[in-house]
Amino acid sequence: MRDLEKRDGIAREFCQFADVLVRLDRIALHFDNGKTRALEEIDINVLEGEFVAVVGPSGCGKSSLLHLIGMLEAPTSGEIYFRSESYSLVRGRALFRRRHFGFVFQSFHVLPALSALENVLIPTVGCAGSARAHRERARHLLARLGLGDMLDRLPATMSGGERQRIAIARALINKPGLLLADEPTGSLDSRNAAEVLALISELRSEESLTVIMVTHDPDVSWHADRIIPLRDGMLVTRGPSSK
Amino acid sequence: MNLVRLALGNLRRRPGRTVLTAAAISLGVAAVVALTSIAWGFETSWQQANDARGTDLIVTRVASENGMPSSFPASKLQGTLKAYPHVQEVVGLLSEMLSIGDSGPPVFVFGWAYDSYLWKHLRLLDGKWPDNEIEPVVMIGSLAAEVLKSRTGDALEIEGRKFRVAGIFESAAVVESGALLMTLAQAQQISDKPGKVNVLNIRLDAHASDADIADFKARVRQAAPGFVAVTSGELVQKNAVVRISKAMSSATILIASLVAALVVFNTMLMSVTERTREIGLLLALGWQRRTVMSLIFGESMMLALLGGLLGILLGIAMAWGLERLDLMHGKIAPVFSASFFASVVGLSVLIGACGGLLPALKAARMLPAHALRQE
Repeated sequence: MRDLEKRDGIAREFCQFADVLVRLDRIALHFDNGKTRALEEIDINVLEGEFVAVVGPSGCGKSSLLHLIGMLEAPTSGEIYFRSESYSLVRGRALFRRRHFGFVFQSFHVLPALSALENVLIPTVGCAGSARAHRERARHLLARLGLGDMLDRLPATMSGGERQRIAIARALINKPGLLLADEPTGSLDSRNAAEVLALISELRSEESLTVIMVTHDPDVSWHADRIIPLRDGMLVTRGPSSK
Repeated sequence: MNLVRLALGNLRRRPGRTVLTAAAISLGVAAVVALTSIAWGFETSWQQANDARGTDLIVTRVASENGMPSSFPASKLQGTLKAYPHVQEVVGLLSEMLSIGDSGPPVFVFGWAYDSYLWKHLRLLDGKWPDNEIEPVVMIGSLAAEVLKSRTGDALEIEGRKFRVAGIFESAAVVESGALLMTLAQAQQISDKPGKVNVLNIRLDAHASDADIADFKARVRQAAPGFVAVTSGELVQKNAVVRISKAMSSATILIASLVAALVVFNTMLMSVTERTREIGLLLALGWQRRTVMSLIFGESMMLALLGGLLGILLGIAMAWGLERLDLMHGKIAPVFSASFFASVVGLSVLIGACGGLLPALKAARMLPAHALRQE
């Protein structure tokens, strides 16, 4: 209990002095002409370097929230800012996404026909810059994630944990500022899940990352600095930090 | 890592579908290659035959432009034409498609005026030429000898009359090498057309200019109503059989291309639908819509090119097989050229572009969040 209080204190202090990386201002997301309300009245600030976990049961709007932050879809109302830049003013969203965001998904989404190295290089296709430099960065990331001797292996021959590590390397290939992880341990056993979470935590400091992770598992959320509970598309307000 | 590598990988992921689609395209392209090469071969073979003889102009009935030349009495017109400026020789020719023996395949039988310039371009391989106009002998072309399995000295029955094979010859023109040749008098006799010919071959002297040829044509129109003087190229191009075979070839190209494009469209649409989440992922990872479009477009192009290249090989084999049939052997030689193959490759690219356009647009227009939610 004393540990929790200490962590809350650090988080509050951090919020006070650090810069805001992502700001969601009165965000709502509706489908079917307003018949389905996925998200309502969402106000969140995520600070530079923070590790935030959005927690809630299935269908509460966690993934939709991540999609909005990752610019994969537009909110019905409200505004989102990345380093004070309004999403609605961004031109060239694909390029913006490639430059600033890295995505990790629950079901890995690695392409079966490509080797581990090639999968990591997917976000560099059509990218300016040297192909050699991209390959070097991909090799470095895979080695860092313990897959240095599996560069040419096809995903079908690898375990779930190894495939998720490919996905993490892929998310980081373009040196994004924000890692968006959608249930990254949802398809893994507890040992692999713990390893993946540990790696994300380590890479956060090594790569100067801000991490927003959504999960339904409260145990997983303990790795984060701050927990944002979500229920029925709305924030559950329980004070400045929910942990 | 590039788009080509990725597109190839995607095609390899579903080998059965890729092979079946390429096979369907290749069948269409093969039909185009085989029929077009034969249609061109038909035209070229007749052009070659006329050119090889050294004929400058051909006088025939006006109606003959639209069908097989019909016969007409030669002597009066022949005398008129001989008097025109620059005319060296006016030689009658009678041609018929006749069956040899009871069960032999039909072959062309040409009757040429004895001792005329028409004979001079032929090369005697065996035996001897006819000694005179009435000798009941027949010369046999080298390809016709293969089809009829005949040699010098054999007897051939043509229209109920027996002829001895006096010799075997070879010509630069396939049509002639695949034909039987006899004197005009013999040909008129067996076809019951005494004094008649299908065409009159005109040979002009070396001083004849284009203006002289035009003048000759005008004189024929004026002096012989119902007749026309044309070059061999004009005669072949206006010939109804050549035009029909070209039209059939064009129709085949159109139908085969449409079917192939539909096959590509169906395959790529299925592929894009199946890969909705994957395409959503690529968009989420920052791929631009034009890059996604290029990937799908590239896959359809590769598929069509693979089918096109296989189709060219299959089409050559089909044309070769058709040419070896007794019915066709020695009458038509399929014509292939680098420009023809380049056109077929171009057609394959067009098939890929048409078939891949809508699926590529569909993929590029996907909303990443929606695509990622698909099961």
